[in-house]
Amino acid sequence: MVTEPKSSTLNTKFLLMKLVDELKLVNQKLDSLIKLNGKILKIQEEMPRLVSNKSYSGTELKLEPDAMSLLSLPMSLRKTVMVLYKLEKATAEDLARETKRLRAVESASANQLVRMGYLSKKREGRDVYFYIESPMEIKK
Amino acid sequence: MKEKAISIHSSRGGTGKTVIATNLAAIFASKGLNVALLDLDFRAPSLATVFSKGIKGPVRYWLNDFLNGRCTVEQALVDVSEEYHLGGRLLIGLANPAIDAIRNIIEKSRAWEVTAVKKLFSLLSSLFNDMNINCCIFDTSPGVQYTSINAVISSDISVVVTTLDSLDLKGVENMLVELYDAFAKKTVVLINKVFPETQIWSSERQEDLVSQMERVLKHPVIGVIPCYCGVLQAERASLLAVDKPFHPFLKKLEEVAEKLERSI
Repeated sequence: MVTEPKSSTLNTKFLLMKLVDELKLVNQKLDSLIKLNGKILKIQEEMPRLVSNKSYSGTELKLEPDAMSLLSLPMSLRKTVMVLYKLEKATAEDLARETKRLRAVESASANQLVRMGYLSKKREGRDVYFYIESPMEIKK
Repeated sequence: MKEKAISIHSSRGGTGKTVIATNLAAIFASKGLNVALLDLDFRAPSLATVFSKGIKGPVRYWLNDFLNGRCTVEQALVDVSEEYHLGGRLLIGLANPAIDAIRNIIEKSRAWEVTAVKKLFSLLSSLFNDMNINCCIFDTSPGVQYTSINAVISSDISVVVTTLDSLDLKGVENMLVELYDAFAKKTVVLINKVFPETQIWSSERQEDLVSQMERVLKHPVIGVIPCYCGVLQAERASLLAVDKPFHPFLKKLEEVAEKLERSI
């Protein structure tokens, strides 16, 4: 009879701790859901542009860096694409020579454009070349 | 003059772009420069009419064909030097005025437009490096259209032609900020067709107008050209620089040409 209240307190404490753990788990899952929802909303916003402006290279989504699309890019990235119109393909060093910016800046800028799907890159020996893919070179 | 590409553009039609582009090309050629004048106004081509006297026989290839990869740069250009005797060479690239060709250009995809800019750069490289051309002038279509923006991107300097009409000026103001500044392109403004009633013909008044416009547009104004009835009434198939070389319009345009040479 003496131990009963003690055992009951322990049980309550155990249950409360379990409840706290469960709540933490729910919280984590809610955080993930909120993040995921943010990503979905972003894709939904981008979708009309992607649909009208896409071509596929394998499984990657490629965007056309046409003159109008360039206007929606920040100036730093726009400059890199404009040089590539002229040079066709270029290393970060070639780009830097044209834009008079640092090689590291051009490398970061070109790689960001690759991630965004506007540029492609390929390795030739020790050099990495950035270029604008022409998926439908003079089709129409 | 170092090899340069100049685009002649405007926010709206009817500002006198083509008259300026064609006569500017003739002025440069009369100075002994080798000039290429390209009609990039694919929706309303006009150079075939202006140079009809100098074009011998049917046109085999148009600039449309070059951009579509159907001919070389050399094949897309017509040499009209012989007809006009200007001193330097004058080559013209014509846009196809056939409705089918215009429709074809309007229907182009974004991917094609990317290729078109690259082709314009390669065309300039061929003109300057292989064909001994000193100056290339693009006559573009008005407003924000792919062919015009492509021309602006590939040229070294853009001349934006405007009248003093408030719609023109507002359009130019927007275009300068949202297009030219966005591409960090060297740009100058040319005010054309200023009515005589404006009474700005004393040099002091002109300077006032120029500084006022430069304040509003935040870009250099390279010239102010009055509205001449003789220019408006001239036949479309007439090249003033050849037919009426002493016309006051030409004098004004020669001043613009000199300033352009200096600024590039």
